[in-house]
Amino acid sequence: MNPLQLFFLAGFGLAAVWFGWRVFRTHSMVRSAMSLLACMVALGAMFLVLQAEFLGVLQIMMMAAEMSIMAFFMMMFMMDPGGLGNMNMTHQQKPATALSAAVAALVLALLLSTNWPAPLARVPTATQQNHDLGIELMTRSMMIFETAGTTILVAMIAAAATALVYPPQPD
Amino acid sequence: MENSATLATTLLVVLLFAGGVYALAVLEYWSVAGRLAWTRPVRLALKLLAREEIKPRQRDAVFYETAPVLLLAAGTLAAAVLPWSASAPLLSLATGALFVNAAFAYVMVALVLGGWSSNGAYAMIGGWRFLGQLLAYSMPMVMALTATVMRAESMVPVQIVLSQRGLWNIIYQPVGFGLFYLAALALAFLPPFDLPVAAGELAGGAWADFTGARRLVLRLGRLSLVMSLAVTITVFYLGGWQGSGLPGVVWTLLKTLLVAASFFGVGRYVSRVRYDLMLEWSWKYATPAALLNILWVGILLLL
Repeated sequence: MNPLQLFFLAGFGLAAVWFGWRVFRTHSMVRSAMSLLACMVALGAMFLVLQAEFLGVLQIMMMAAEMSIMAFFMMMFMMDPGGLGNMNMTHQQKPATALSAAVAALVLALLLSTNWPAPLARVPTATQQNHDLGIELMTRSMMIFETAGTTILVAMIAAAATALVYPPQPD
Repeated sequence: MENSATLATTLLVVLLFAGGVYALAVLEYWSVAGRLAWTRPVRLALKLLAREEIKPRQRDAVFYETAPVLLLAAGTLAAAVLPWSASAPLLSLATGALFVNAAFAYVMVALVLGGWSSNGAYAMIGGWRFLGQLLAYSMPMVMALTATVMRAESMVPVQIVLSQRGLWNIIYQPVGFGLFYLAALALAFLPPFDLPVAAGELAGGAWADFTGARRLVLRLGRLSLVMSLAVTITVFYLGGWQGSGLPGVVWTLLKTLLVAASFFGVGRYVSRVRYDLMLEWSWKYATPAALLNILWVGILLLL
């Protein structure tokens, strides 16, 4: 990895951490969700720096809609239509801090103790990566993705069905 | 040599895009007022620049400034990967078709932010309406694009144009074209899908509280978005630069302007669609139709 790549990787990584921290430093659902969006976009940019073009673009695309919809749903369920209801984003601070530290330590331990394969000498071209990803999704990982996809679809249909008023009421 | 060629391409694409946006500004006024006022965009821009900037009280300072710029960025970014001729995309991405979608996704973020940050009820409702609209148009749009990618067996826009050599996608997958066309109208919140900024009903909606230069940037962003969408349709469904007699870029420009004019024409003659109906139609008809379109293209490809 050349120094320029490393510089940008570190920069986007720090940006992701900063925005992740900002999520808990506001009192508004919308600001919080948008900070999370910025955090996720920074992660997507890290994928791009690592020359994983498809994953990066996909991450940046998906998060835009997801984070906005999340903000919307949170506000609906919090009975706070403006999203400015001056609420605290941190709850049960001591247990949460302890848990976060424990999880962070665990992740770090896993990262350090895993025997990672040597980095590739040459990254395959973006076109080749798309091809490989497609083959992977249609062969070895097919069952996992089909199961996940079907589960999500069933959950969506179930949620919509339970939210509907039936028989339809006149407005 | 290499560098000067790239520079010439960049200049050409930027000039064509900017000229196209100007033409769209004229066309949009024509679709409303029925006459072609060639200097009106310039006069309007000067007027907006000279106007007092009224900012709403207790706005969200960061998002209020971000939203117009984000809309302009989202509207123009997609154009970077779309080819005007075989050699004239600014940027050739292996994931071009996906990148176009990614850029357009931030239109929604810009509108939601703009509506929310200006701290007004109408603006906020406009922003949330656009979010509802997104649920209606995004699935058919992405799935319609997927079918064009399937035919080209590549996400590179140049390859997608080349795959239409014998037969344009508008004929090969008419259902996909229809869905993408409607989704494009909804994405650019053009009438009949202009509920987020509905002038007569919501006092300007998502951008009700933007004045002066910020308003100008929003308008410019919207027109750039319409332009990008028209180029997208040209590239993905109308055979891009292909055509006989004229140079490729001219064909692209002609097709693009034709598509954009049809956008405005539709808006003139179709009445506004209620957003709950839009959601209902999207889930009941448009999304299944998009899936059938993918199946249809798959069968055609295997035959």
